[in-house]
Amino acid sequence: MEENSNMTAERSLEIITKQIEMNRHAVSKTLGQSLYISGLCIMATSVLVAVVNFLAMSAGLVGIGHLLWFLLPVVIWLLSRKTIKEHAHTPTSFVGSMVAKTWQTFGIFAIGFFVVAIVCTFILFRMVSPSEYAPMQIRVAPIIVLLMGMGIAMNGQILNKRWLVWFGIVAGLLCFVWEHFEMGAWIVTHITSLPPYETTVFMSSLPCLTIFIFGFVGLLLPGMMLKKQSV
Amino acid sequence: MFPTLDPLLHSELRLAVMSLLMSAEEADFPYIKEQTGATAGNLSVQVDKLSAAGYIEVEKTFKGKKPCTVCRITPTGLKAFEDYVTSLKSYLKV
Repeated sequence: MEENSNMTAERSLEIITKQIEMNRHAVSKTLGQSLYISGLCIMATSVLVAVVNFLAMSAGLVGIGHLLWFLLPVVIWLLSRKTIKEHAHTPTSFVGSMVAKTWQTFGIFAIGFFVVAIVCTFILFRMVSPSEYAPMQIRVAPIIVLLMGMGIAMNGQILNKRWLVWFGIVAGLLCFVWEHFEMGAWIVTHITSLPPYETTVFMSSLPCLTIFIFGFVGLLLPGMMLKKQSV
Repeated sequence: MFPTLDPLLHSELRLAVMSLLMSAEEADFPYIKEQTGATAGNLSVQVDKLSAAGYIEVEKTFKGKKPCTVCRITPTGLKAFEDYVTSLKSYLKV
């Protein structure tokens, strides 16, 4: 492209459209790749957490696998480094930085809440009797799924994808109710009548399944769509 | 009577740079060069002209040990671009 000042209005409009479109494609590719990697990491971690929980249960360590969630930001960062290097010159877009900030905020809240819950559980467990502890315990899964649903809905608003907004709101609220009122446990005990050990295994894996689905629909799928759009 | 088009923006390369910066928070020199297909020398001259007019901000930083020139649009540039597009519309009768 050279300096040409004798352009027609149509040519000017063509240049503006072409540049905005090219930039949008480059930004979509990088953003899509980041969402895709994050979605894959969340899905892989949820499977790993479920497997570790299952294996640790026989040793009496119920839910110990959930500590692996702390590794998730590190894994995402390590895997994203390659993409960041490949697209080092791609500019920061408003949409990209808003999506990144939404998930960073979610991560801070989720990890912060997780730490607070662990500390409170540790203190309460030592201070009160098991019967007193039960109603006072902080349940992590309902809050995490609610926060994740909110993150997905905000992502949908930023990316202008209405289906993602609705998925975030509906799935976030439904899964919050499901987890908070332990509806999974109620179904297992009243309908399937599984033995206690299998019930505990099922209950421990249920939040992992929810997060797996959230990771797939909320991050991997929009990431794939953005990558496809940029081709 | 058609409004006059901003002569600073009514140039292929400068208009391409401004259009690109319109949809990004900021962009570095190699990216602008790649997207516009301009030569480094020509692009540098046009970027300087836009910067001198206060349409864009040019920041020279380092990415690791490598020097890096980052450009971003200013509110003056944004207003000029909006006016340019409005003028274009009257030419095209959009």
